[in-house]
Amino acid sequence: MFKKFGIALLVGGAVVAFARSQEVPSDFQLLWAIIALIGAMVFMLLDAKPLATMSGGKSFLAVAAFWILIVTVCIAGASLLPQSDPEDERGKISKLLEKQRATSQQGKADELIARAKALDEQVKALENRLKGLGGSQVATAIPSPAGDKSPAATSGGGGAAGDVMKVGEEQWQLQECYNCHKLRGEGGKKRGPELDNIGSLLTVEEIQQKIMDPKSFMAEGYDKEWTKGIMPNKFKDLMDPKEMLALATWLGSFKNTSINTPKPIKKN
Amino acid sequence: MWHSLLALIALCVFIVPTVYAQELGTSSVDFPYTGNRTAVWVVAQLHILFAAFILGAPIFVVIAEWLGYRKQDPRYDRMAREITKVTVILFSMTAVTGGLFIFVLLAAYPQFTTWFINQFYVVFAILYPALFIVETILMYAYLYTWDVWKGEKKGRHIALGIVLNLVCLLILFVINGPTSFMNTPPKAEGISPQDFLAAATLWDKIANQSWFPLSLHRIDGNIAFSGFIAGMIAAYMYMGSKTQEERAYYDWMGFVAIWIAVGGSLLQPFTGLLLAYEMCEYDFSFCPYMMADQLSMFFEVQGMMIGLLFLAINYYSWLSVRRIEGAEKVRMTILAPIVLVVVLPVTMWVMNTYWIPDPRSLAFLLPLVLSPFLLGRVVPMTVSARTVIKIGFIVMLVSDAVWLTPSGFMATGSDMPDELKLPEGWDFLASMPTKLSAIIVLVFVTVVNYVLYNRTIKQGTILWGKIDFVAQFVLIFLAFTSTWIMGLMGAVRSLVKKYFHVYGLVSDFTVESFTPTLSYSAWWISGITVSFLVIVTLAALVALRPSVSKVREPEVGPVPVGAK
Repeated sequence: MFKKFGIALLVGGAVVAFARSQEVPSDFQLLWAIIALIGAMVFMLLDAKPLATMSGGKSFLAVAAFWILIVTVCIAGASLLPQSDPEDERGKISKLLEKQRATSQQGKADELIARAKALDEQVKALENRLKGLGGSQVATAIPSPAGDKSPAATSGGGGAAGDVMKVGEEQWQLQECYNCHKLRGEGGKKRGPELDNIGSLLTVEEIQQKIMDPKSFMAEGYDKEWTKGIMPNKFKDLMDPKEMLALATWLGSFKNTSINTPKPIKKN
Repeated sequence: MWHSLLALIALCVFIVPTVYAQELGTSSVDFPYTGNRTAVWVVAQLHILFAAFILGAPIFVVIAEWLGYRKQDPRYDRMAREITKVTVILFSMTAVTGGLFIFVLLAAYPQFTTWFINQFYVVFAILYPALFIVETILMYAYLYTWDVWKGEKKGRHIALGIVLNLVCLLILFVINGPTSFMNTPPKAEGISPQDFLAAATLWDKIANQSWFPLSLHRIDGNIAFSGFIAGMIAAYMYMGSKTQEERAYYDWMGFVAIWIAVGGSLLQPFTGLLLAYEMCEYDFSFCPYMMADQLSMFFEVQGMMIGLLFLAINYYSWLSVRRIEGAEKVRMTILAPIVLVVVLPVTMWVMNTYWIPDPRSLAFLLPLVLSPFLLGRVVPMTVSARTVIKIGFIVMLVSDAVWLTPSGFMATGSDMPDELKLPEGWDFLASMPTKLSAIIVLVFVTVVNYVLYNRTIKQGTILWGKIDFVAQFVLIFLAFTSTWIMGLMGAVRSLVKKYFHVYGLVSDFTVESFTPTLSYSAWWISGITVSFLVIVTLAALVALRPSVSKVREPEVGPVPVGAK
């Protein structure tokens, strides 16, 4: 048993040392070391002495303990991995759905319900305050019901008219263009071209056309991606014309000639 | 007949809230503790697990009954009958959780649910209930004709089982229409999704892009799942067995169940990949969301669980070989370990060079993986079966390491710092072709072990009931892991819609419209898994325990300890 553990430590150590020499981040080293240890456990199990047959209460307890162990390992394993930040995504989604929400039936209903709930809370707060004061004093400071969520405070896009570039950059983030395109050295997985010099190659109108109809231009060397229609044809439904223009204007400002943004070829 | 009554009640529960919701308008119920989305999630997933079992088990059962008839081995018939008894109880649970699901869905999302039911009115109001009733009738007929249609009439009973399976398959295809519609509603270039939907027929809505791959993935998934659950039932019964004869039978049952499950499991990665491929074809933004953004760590956990599942399957195979007398004498061509060692790097190179659907990948890989079986007799050098299996374990561990290596340890791709990314030159480890290579190797090692096992049983004698007791824990672990993976992938399938109820068509405006953390999801998935497995355990005890205490049924002969 100790021999196998020793071999696992040696193998794990060698893998970690090699990974370290190649400047592989420590998280990967840890992952591979854990797998080496799991390997040791597997080989210990392979040659372990047979487990004696249990019966009755003993096997019931063993099964219960085994269940607790595997549930704990599953939850702990998943919890130790990096976790996304729901607040971050929530913020994005609420911006994306803001306009749609306001115009939808449900949005209107939700607003009414929220207002009713707020009023209800206000009344309850008043009642409590009056009860607490024995009715002799008048409530002077009633907390504003959900008051910190006034439309002005939550709109975020209030200054959009004055700052096209800001809206454009915001759309880049909201539509998650960075998942396919690299810009300013960030994002991209080679699925779409790097865009730091796109402003030198396309006009704002042309960029807008490409976003609206992804088949209108093809980046040189991206024939496969263009043929397969990798760039989704949905942004005209997700952005209004102003937002799309803002994104195109913002992208058009990138004219870094040191970056080799592939030449766009007009298609249709 | 109380099962039928429960099913009827569930149907009423299904219909009544539908009518009620039409009047409710937009107000929804706020579920305490869980919130609305998690409440729907829990009930829906529980329903899907029961449904997966009752749709998969009949396939498993008819295969077993047919094998028993063909081999004239009464053990198969007994197993088929026992699993059918459990299935009938779980059938009621499927109806109950199905009714509850609709009730919770209507309470939590009344407006959307009403809209959704209207889109698939014929499916929800006519087809699905009608098929469910037919399935109920056939299921009971199948169980209660077991003793009547035996001997020469056995063929008739098997035919009834096949008809039952056809209805089950039909149900699966029908209900997968609305399910897959939520992910990939039909669309056409140049037309807005709303306009296209307004003109779409029911068939257009059902036969959407992910419908067929989802159905395929669920068919083999259900076979695998019911096999693993049957294995767990066998493990419990083995543990509770009082006699060596009983132990021998349940040892055999666990073994057969697992190999049927493995048959389904081997196809799972490939049908899963087909589903992912079709979804990415539909809208490429699904792909980065799953692999590089919010769901990337969900797939990391999926890799871990599937890696453990394959390790456990092969460990069970190892334990099975150990209880065969004469196994130590079994040898295999030296080509097998050689191919095992080279298969991962070669597959990685081939897949990264000739990615699917390039047929050249097959031209390289097929001769390689078939060589131990085709050329084995030509090459005189051999190694022991134990050595081949142990090399297989090392190869599996390396494949797991490759599969689990992400492009970076970050939950979202947008803010991935360089210090958490794989460095340049190593990034091929995180590519899709490399991941597929790792899966192919896991499947290949399992097939080699199966071939080895078959060779061993031909040359040795199986001591049924003498398997290492730890094998029963492996069976329980396999049932747990497969259920947990189903829970995880169910969550992923739903979350991939992002902030939509129906992708690109109906937005989810509620505050719960975001991707929950992996940790939060793991808690709920574990809770659902445990709840499901506890109910299955109780159902198995109720259905099978009395038969153990009774005198053995006459048609099932004692199992010789050394039988094949």
